[in-house]
Amino acid sequence: MATATDDVLTKVSTEAATELVNSFYPALKNDRASIASFYLPTPTSILFNGNTVADGAAVQDIFQSQMPEAFYEVQSFDCQIINRAYPTTTATGLKPTTEMTVKDMSILVMASGNVRYGENRDQLPRGFSETFVLVPNPSSDRKRRRDWLIQSQNFRLVV
Amino acid sequence: MKTMKSRRSGGDRGGIRKRGPIRTDRDGDMDMDAPGGRGGKRGGRGGPGRPTGSGSGSGAGVGRPARSGGDRPQARDKTLEAIQKAISNTRDSQVSIRQGKNAAPSNLELFSVLGWKESKVSSHRDGGVENLIAFLERRMNAHSKSGPRARITKSRVEGDSLVVFVRPDLSDRMLRLHDSLFAGVHLVVEPYDPSSSAVLDRELGTATGTSPSTADTKSKMTLILSKRYYPDTKLLDLSKLSADPDLVAMGIFNQTSTESKFFPALMKVWEMGFTNAAQRREAVESVSLAHNSLTNVTAVTTLSQTFPDIKNLDLSHNNLKDYRSINAWRWKFRNLEFLDLTENPFSAEPNFKETMMKWYPKLQTLNNVIVRTAEEIAAQKKTPIPVQAPHFQDDGQIAENFIRAFFTRYDNSRDELVKSVYDSQSEFTLNVNTSAPKAQQTESAGWDPYIKKSRNLLKINHLPARMSRAYTGADKILELWKSLPQTRHPDMSAHPEEYLVECHPVPGLPDPTGQSPTGVGGLMIMVHGKFEESVGGKVETRSFDRTFIIGPGGGMGGIRVINDILCLRAYGGHEAWSPENQAIPYATAPVAPVAGAAPVAVPAPAAAVPAPVAQPGIPQGYGAPAPGKTDAQVQQELLVAQMSAKSGMTLQFSEMALSGNGWNLDAAWKNFEELKASGSLPATAFLSPA
Repeated sequence: MATATDDVLTKVSTEAATELVNSFYPALKNDRASIASFYLPTPTSILFNGNTVADGAAVQDIFQSQMPEAFYEVQSFDCQIINRAYPTTTATGLKPTTEMTVKDMSILVMASGNVRYGENRDQLPRGFSETFVLVPNPSSDRKRRRDWLIQSQNFRLVV
Repeated sequence: MKTMKSRRSGGDRGGIRKRGPIRTDRDGDMDMDAPGGRGGKRGGRGGPGRPTGSGSGSGAGVGRPARSGGDRPQARDKTLEAIQKAISNTRDSQVSIRQGKNAAPSNLELFSVLGWKESKVSSHRDGGVENLIAFLERRMNAHSKSGPRARITKSRVEGDSLVVFVRPDLSDRMLRLHDSLFAGVHLVVEPYDPSSSAVLDRELGTATGTSPSTADTKSKMTLILSKRYYPDTKLLDLSKLSADPDLVAMGIFNQTSTESKFFPALMKVWEMGFTNAAQRREAVESVSLAHNSLTNVTAVTTLSQTFPDIKNLDLSHNNLKDYRSINAWRWKFRNLEFLDLTENPFSAEPNFKETMMKWYPKLQTLNNVIVRTAEEIAAQKKTPIPVQAPHFQDDGQIAENFIRAFFTRYDNSRDELVKSVYDSQSEFTLNVNTSAPKAQQTESAGWDPYIKKSRNLLKINHLPARMSRAYTGADKILELWKSLPQTRHPDMSAHPEEYLVECHPVPGLPDPTGQSPTGVGGLMIMVHGKFEESVGGKVETRSFDRTFIIGPGGGMGGIRVINDILCLRAYGGHEAWSPENQAIPYATAPVAPVAGAAPVAVPAPAAAVPAPVAQPGIPQGYGAPAPGKTDAQVQQELLVAQMSAKSGMTLQFSEMALSGNGWNLDAAWKNFEELKASGSLPATAFLSPA
């Protein structure tokens, strides 16, 4: 664990960020039933334009019932490792350091892009900025699970 | 050509006197942009470069006296300085608009190439421009077999003209291409004159045999414009142009070539009447082009460049047949509210109304019939998730103190800033969003100083580059920051509206002491704002998004920066984060701190509302949108939360106070104070004993 080299750390973190960007935004458009699955069961903070949202299920609910079709385009994104040894609490308590791997990190992701709501293509797209914290999925269920989950999220229209 | 030359160097410089030196001195101006070092090299280059182009010399001699006296360096610098000052003053007051766009990169010579629009290749997708450039380069090289290949450094299309930029030593070769045969037409190649009125002037000169000076054309046009401009109503009436006695007297409509150039020239003359773009934008809200026998808008298309923001446009009594006739304005006039196309065949087309409404999303009145209400337009603009005041949860004002000091220090003393709160584990990266939406339809400066450091993971795919563009540790961060341009961020206290700052706690951060296996808690701070930077002597405004994670550490204030991630993008304004319902006085009501929770948040007005959920007695989700909850309900809940925070009353009593006062917070507050003073509020009205 302590031997993870910089290239491995960079690879793991940037791939996790890329995976989030490539799967989360398309889900907001086409696969809203899957939105909740991107979140930690008890996220720290979820904010949309300053509105607090309780959890992934609530986000999914909002997108399914209130949001018109949304077309997101991420134009730039980047990430950094926050904690190389992120303390994960599993069903059996805190994950012992002996079981930790290079993937036990928390990651800060920042995306910048534009979004157009609704079918009217004449509407100018709005610029947004979004920050996420990703943490390892604590679930021990190895099947069909995401490696990383959203611990916190802050979406803001900025243009 | 000949008339041009003589005018440029000779005595006939009436109205273009000001322009003449500007143009020729532009090169000089560029010289001066380069500080010290390059000045020396220049003298050497100016020597061999200029004189050899003896024939090319159009303007080479004018406006260069400063350099000719290659005397003592210090004296020369002073002269240069004085001249530069004079130039920049003239520029600012006279032609800043044009100069902004036309400034040539360093000392290139500009030429206009005309005639190609009638060529066989003009039907190509790019109008044949690519073919034309390839042709010109080929022919320039045909003349010489040795030396470096002649190239067109840069080019752009301006009306019927392709403006090309070439090195001064290629001027001769460029001019020799005049009258060469390209795809069936004879090209006209001449030194570039940036004013369209000069182009028109030339045409008029050839048409009438006399040669009225550009100044004369310009002053006549200025007069015509002033007769047709109504400042009270901000209307520019360009209707019935062909019947205008002044224009007829000028001979504008005697031949098609002047007719086609007349309108762009008129627009230029209008633009030259203004010293700044904002004034120009505000001067005109309405334009009429009625009764002009227009069959399409090609001849008048520059209207959309000069007046991109007009609200009312009258195109009635023309001969516009269908949408194709105005297709050139498909994406223009984004603020158009009123459009009159009556007495045009297009109005009778079945899809007329539908098409115009689709093209112009703010259109309210079409052919004098209301097609959309202001409310409908407002509803379009509304975002599905209402824009609320910032969420700012920061016990002990740690984030507030950090962020208040940060940008001033980033602007003024990056080294001290790094030393005070960054340590050996801090990480900094930046990424540039080069295609972000903009607040204005203006061109923004390039990203040269940043782009090689940008870690946009969409574009930076290779692991070594991803690694080298991440900066870990105070030393590396400072080294990078020192290489980035100087910046100026707005004062957060004086201009709080220009920032949006949000903050919330974040767990599981690395513990620098290594003692806590569960990590330590810290704060995540997200900032959106703008800054200014000097690009080539011009102040450029850019927008940024920046997220920090700060945790306990050995830096100033007992903190350290763990992560600092910066996104740069074109200026996008700050309207996007001003709360949607302006009726709610977020910004005005001072919020009394509520025990244990609401901190006095950072940028005073904008952030002054503590997060509803952070208040005591307020259930999760209160004031937040939820399925089945209307926007009005959400807004009311937010008001109630605000009233509760301010008064210390329960939600139920806060709601009573508001609904009894027409949901006006100020009135409700006044009412509350009266009732409290008279002792008529029961103890149960309050969350905790008042």
